[in-house]
Amino acid sequence: MAVATPTTVRDTASIAESLRRKRDVKGVAFQAMMFLSLVITLGVLVVLLFTVISDGWPVLSQRLGGFLTSTLRPDAVDAGVVQGLKGTFYLCAIVAIVAFPLGIAAAIYMEEYAPQNWLTSFIQLNIRNLAGVPSVVYGILGLTIFVKGWGISSITGGSSPLAGGLTLSALVLPVVIITAQEAIRATPQALREAGFGVGATKWEVIKDHILPYAAPGILTGTLLSIARAAGEAAPLLLIGTISGIITRSAPWYDVTQVQDRFTAMPTLITSWAVQPDTGFSVENAAAAIVILIFFVILLNSAAIMLRNRFESKRSG
Amino acid sequence: MKLRFLLTPMLAFALIAAACGGSDDAGGSGEDGEIFVSGSSTVEPISVRVADEFFKTNPDVNIAVNGPGTGDGFKLFCDGETDISDASRAIKDEEASDCEENGINWVELKVGIDGIAIMSGPGNPIECLSFPDMYSITSPEAEGVQNWADANELNAAVGGSGDLPDAPLTITAPGQESGTYASFIEIVLEDLLEEREQDITTRFDYQSSANDNIIINNISSDDTSFGWVGFAFAEEAGDSVKVFSISEEEGGDCIAPTAETIADNSYPIARDLFIYVNVDKAAEKPLLAEFVDFYMDYGLTTAVTDSKYVPLDDAAMAETRAAWSGR
Repeated sequence: MAVATPTTVRDTASIAESLRRKRDVKGVAFQAMMFLSLVITLGVLVVLLFTVISDGWPVLSQRLGGFLTSTLRPDAVDAGVVQGLKGTFYLCAIVAIVAFPLGIAAAIYMEEYAPQNWLTSFIQLNIRNLAGVPSVVYGILGLTIFVKGWGISSITGGSSPLAGGLTLSALVLPVVIITAQEAIRATPQALREAGFGVGATKWEVIKDHILPYAAPGILTGTLLSIARAAGEAAPLLLIGTISGIITRSAPWYDVTQVQDRFTAMPTLITSWAVQPDTGFSVENAAAAIVILIFFVILLNSAAIMLRNRFESKRSG
Repeated sequence: MKLRFLLTPMLAFALIAAACGGSDDAGGSGEDGEIFVSGSSTVEPISVRVADEFFKTNPDVNIAVNGPGTGDGFKLFCDGETDISDASRAIKDEEASDCEENGINWVELKVGIDGIAIMSGPGNPIECLSFPDMYSITSPEAEGVQNWADANELNAAVGGSGDLPDAPLTITAPGQESGTYASFIEIVLEDLLEEREQDITTRFDYQSSANDNIIINNISSDDTSFGWVGFAFAEEAGDSVKVFSISEEEGGDCIAPTAETIADNSYPIARDLFIYVNVDKAAEKPLLAEFVDFYMDYGLTTAVTDSKYVPLDDAAMAETRAAWSGR
């Protein structure tokens, strides 16, 4: 989706032609293998999308509007995902508010200010390790600190989008920091020197030269991590998102719901998928997956558009 | 500099969220209009139906129902975080003492019964199966057994008659995610599994389905098949399947599952479903009391039947209602 698609892929006919000419056999074999890998990867994705869409088709074709606007209900034909969408929306918003500024600021510090010593490299090592910690571990952290933590729970309201968003922020922070660091590191040294050369202070160089130059890279990383946060189920199940029913459905603009009990798309999908009733386990679960995928694609397209905007400004 | 257009709305959003949030009460179940139910995923559908129906006449109430499991539910309940705890078994002594330590007073209300029917195809000549019979064809030790007779050695070893017929055996049953699967293990297999130091599970080589209608179709198409579903589904299937009578011990009384034998506890493969209500909270929050009142009416009847469980008989229902009104 947001990953770069190869601009030129030689089709199998041209590979066969090269083979006939018996020129550079190893090279052709290598190219064929690479092409096959691409086909397999895309094939898996296509099969996945096809099964999900065909399973969810009865819902998507007959009652998409109702499905998008209905709340959790006891019977599969009445149930909808509006509460899950709101939950996931607020989770993403909180991740954007908390993890992005923190992560980008940490990356700027690590790249531009931190002295080169053992402590810095120790911290760097730990950030990389944290990026590999399973998400369920962050769920336990979130449950202990943000849901039940003394004092903190009175701010988050217990198991709420706020607690979930903070948990997911902790989950994506290492990735945000690392991608932002890479983007900042890719800024040409000459750009910095030119800035200092005309008498700019360090802060001016960072804000007027480095950050604008690194912005597309930073954005790609951050928005990909939002997509990750939108799809995480394990931490949410641990912090106690609701699977059965929530009778109240606050309007979208009502931000006080960040402190209420909530549910999110991944929770709905996991709990519906194991229901004995196939109306839930097949049709509704698959339709919810399609909607979540669509939501993530929207986020990724936004990321690509923003990146292109920054890039054109940079070159222009 | 160009990041500003991104950061400004983010910060504004954060401030609004913080400002609006400050006034809200922390604990979700503290206010009158907030009711939080958690616990058994088996009882969850009943509570969901009651909540959904109650909400129609009380649109200001906010009821949340969750189903993490009976044990997790009691943990939350005894911490005072939930108003009602769904349970597919009675509270354990250590859980009750946790509640006592935290000053949580509760009332136990039996709401329905989860009965399991053991079935085969309509032409199966066997009338009655004992727990050892079922153990010898469904336990992990029976892995690979494709013929009833192949299980005879194990059958005799666990206290069965050892004369299962020479006929092909195919098993279709709920998948491991199902409460019915868990109940089957708990009631039929667990004692023997522990005695024989096996893992608490079934054999893995059986046809599993999350859809009870598929299970029933598979079972009814083969006269010597074996499987189990919730009692309500077997009842709907009627004559297309053969439902076995069950005895706990080999040679014991064979009881056929009916609404009566399940309700009076004589049919052995059934378990009671409960809700536990925090009585102090019910006293503080009129809406919670009203909700449980409604549960005692709609919940014990329509919600239990619609969730495919067996309703209590009249005497037990009266007992539950008396327990609630005498809290």
